[in-house]
Amino acid sequence: MELLDAHLVPAVDGVAYGLLLFVVAAGLSLAFGTAGVLNLSHGMLYAIGAYTGTELSDGTWGGLALGLAAGTAAAALAGAGLSAATVPLARRGHLAQALLTFGTALVGGDLLIQFFGADELPVRVPGALDSSVHLLGHRYPAYRLCFIAMAVALAAFGTWVLTRTRVGAAVRASADDPQMLAATGHNPRAVHTGVLAAAGALAGAAGVLGAPIIGPGPGTSENVLMLSLVVVVLGGLRSLWATLAASVAVGEVQTLGVSVLPDLAPYLLFAAMAAVLVFRSRFTEPEAHEERGPSSDPVSRLRRLLAARWENRPRAAAPAPTAPARLGAWLHSAGWRQAVPLLVLLAVLFALPGVLDPYSISLAGSALALGLLAVSVTVLTGYAGLPTLGQTAPFAVGAYATANLADAGWTAGPVQIVLSALAAAVFSAVTGPAVIRARGTTVLMITLAVGELTSAVINQVKSVTGGADGLVGFPATRALWSGEGMTEERELYVYAAVVAVVAVALTLLVLRSPAGKLLTGTRGAEARMRASGHPVGRYLLVAHICAGALAGVGGSLMVTVQQYLSPADVGFEIAAFALLAVVIGGTTSVIGALLGAGLIVFTRDWVAGSWPGHGPLLLGALFIAAVYLLPRGLAGLRTAVGRPATAVSTGKAAP
Amino acid sequence: MLELTGLTAGYHGGTVLHGLDLSVPAGTVHAVVGHNGAGKTTLVHTVAGLMRPDAGTVRLDGRDVTGQPAHRIARAGIGLVPQGRRVFANLSVAEHLRLSYRPPRGGDASRPSVWTPARVLELLPRLGERRGNRGADLSGGEQQMLALARALLGSPSVLLLDEPTEGLAPALVRQVHELVTTLAEEGIAVLLVSPSPATAARCADTLTVLTSGRVGLRLDGAGAREDPTALHAALELAPTGA
Repeated sequence: MELLDAHLVPAVDGVAYGLLLFVVAAGLSLAFGTAGVLNLSHGMLYAIGAYTGTELSDGTWGGLALGLAAGTAAAALAGAGLSAATVPLARRGHLAQALLTFGTALVGGDLLIQFFGADELPVRVPGALDSSVHLLGHRYPAYRLCFIAMAVALAAFGTWVLTRTRVGAAVRASADDPQMLAATGHNPRAVHTGVLAAAGALAGAAGVLGAPIIGPGPGTSENVLMLSLVVVVLGGLRSLWATLAASVAVGEVQTLGVSVLPDLAPYLLFAAMAAVLVFRSRFTEPEAHEERGPSSDPVSRLRRLLAARWENRPRAAAPAPTAPARLGAWLHSAGWRQAVPLLVLLAVLFALPGVLDPYSISLAGSALALGLLAVSVTVLTGYAGLPTLGQTAPFAVGAYATANLADAGWTAGPVQIVLSALAAAVFSAVTGPAVIRARGTTVLMITLAVGELTSAVINQVKSVTGGADGLVGFPATRALWSGEGMTEERELYVYAAVVAVVAVALTLLVLRSPAGKLLTGTRGAEARMRASGHPVGRYLLVAHICAGALAGVGGSLMVTVQQYLSPADVGFEIAAFALLAVVIGGTTSVIGALLGAGLIVFTRDWVAGSWPGHGPLLLGALFIAAVYLLPRGLAGLRTAVGRPATAVSTGKAAP
Repeated sequence: MLELTGLTAGYHGGTVLHGLDLSVPAGTVHAVVGHNGAGKTTLVHTVAGLMRPDAGTVRLDGRDVTGQPAHRIARAGIGLVPQGRRVFANLSVAEHLRLSYRPPRGGDASRPSVWTPARVLELLPRLGERRGNRGADLSGGEQQMLALARALLGSPSVLLLDEPTEGLAPALVRQVHELVTTLAEEGIAVLLVSPSPATAARCADTLTVLTSGRVGLRLDGAGAREDPTALHAALELAPTGA
């Protein structure tokens, strides 16, 4: 009883916190589940509400009402604007939307800081609520109790609209089949705009009312977005009640969890998320992805395997054409045109040290490390059809492995690279089964959880990772077994370039081989691949492990080039950048991913160098520009230049 | 009255309908038959506004509705019963009825009659028994009834039926045909699309054989019922694909 009593206040706090998250997450879930927009700027909508409400609240009821009206209206307007902005992206899938909304969030976040400053603002609530009441022998802030009541009312109203009204029916119908909704005389565009405006209004209202709980500040957007994503993953998209339960659970973890189990609290959230992933909530579509091989007994599997190998043999044994004939054929084929950008890139890569200053050279080295991460994301996103936000996890494993190896005296570059790749591969083999069972946006959520869980571990296991301080002062890597440690920027860059070229060349070879075709086939027509006897799950797992190893190499390079390692280097932002680099690059283009990563590092660190503090704004603008100007990514440019008429006008995907 | 003149439509890189002329006077059934790929569904989608035509006009009671968005065309009085029914999986039957019911504004004399949910349930009593069930939980026949109800509740003057008997048991097929005849008697112009000449001929006033997006043969329903040889010949000769 005493224990219960001691934790009453945090428990009630958890309910308030959870209900706040529910209102925000309901908006996110509404936008995604019924309008099909994965809104990564949803946290920004909350921040708009929170800032507006805080500015207008002067401690009176009128101020709160005014703030509520203005904040809700502003966020609803932003939501409606987002609906208009996604019109040109209608046929481009969730990744293009992610690029757009992430860019919007970066730009919006920067603008909010411009307007309201970089400090957390103090929040005033109406005088009557700025007191405490007695709650079972404890004093408790009256505002929070009032907030609980308001959130419940808001949730009940939303549920009523969605399930009991004609408007709600139209919204649910548009989620199901917008064409047929139009054929019954309802304008699906209006429904889309209305849904996104309503989702924005929910976030804005939550921001105004919830400001005393999660106040307006520079980190608000990301914090709120992340927590509401967790809620949506835990609760699924189907049921508001499940979302409610998930919200309160997350709220309790963030309050009661911290007070009862301070050491474990950072894990609790992700443990819950991981549990859901393991037990497969209805959020995923398991019926489409279950392993449904023709039969699973080992003998017939072995027989099929042998048969498959036998079928492949004749092709491999076909008489190889003589070298000059092959060269001639290659020159006449499209092959040389594909190779030209590769060769140009290679030349530029090794010419850079001659033209750049040391700072830019070290940036270029970081860009290569991030580029390898982006290439590993391309392998998963573009080839295996698993869009991932979690490749920073194996990237981090590789990075921390290298730093620790160096600390232990293993400073030979090749050893560091190979062991880092191995460690990352083992890590990916462990996380793989959870990732490869889902498809599409669900993968984004699952990998996000993997990445965040890894970040939590990094912050906790200080003996290995240095915690939030990161690692510095470990011995420099030696390029080979002998020689001095590399400390000079040019040396480091050349080392990074050589490793990157080898890794990318290997990746390209594998992707152009039949193995790459199997992956492409899996992405394009998974059911057919299964039906023709391919163990799709195993292919994806192998791809996941290889991509993990590649990311591990990238992590190792980053540590070598930077000569320090901080948790921010392997955080969510980097994961998002890697995915966006891939989208900018053209999703299936390895070279495009490298260029995309280069473009991001260039924008964030080099261009922003002349306009300090505005890196996010510039990046956001880059993302927004890329989504509209490069519908098929940087890789699309080459196709457009090479074959202007056909490729552009038919609008088909780049080969 | 639905009038199509010179209707041309297609997808990226290929024209499917080549200048089709077709009219359905009020109170009649015009059946369009053809092989897979002849352009039947393209025709329906173009008329319903789910696709934009490349050329030609769609006129509804003399009003040009060519190229308008689907919801405008639906409001103008064209009801669609699509292939595969496409009922809303997560909406109950009652919600379907409520969502689809659009009382016509003002005294629109061109509308043959106003369909209210009560009147639709009178015509399709089975739906009344299943009011609380979700679209996904209905049987194929019930879904077909629901799709029809959804189209009727807009009180259309033209009804597009895309393979309404697909996958239904013979008894239900007969029921659908009776319904089509009933609706035509109400003054609705019915455009019925079907791959099977036998089903189409049973209730059609006019028959068009669509051959690679062009009118292959046109004959009146009574003639086709008496002597189906011409119809069969046109279909057997019609090459599939284009």
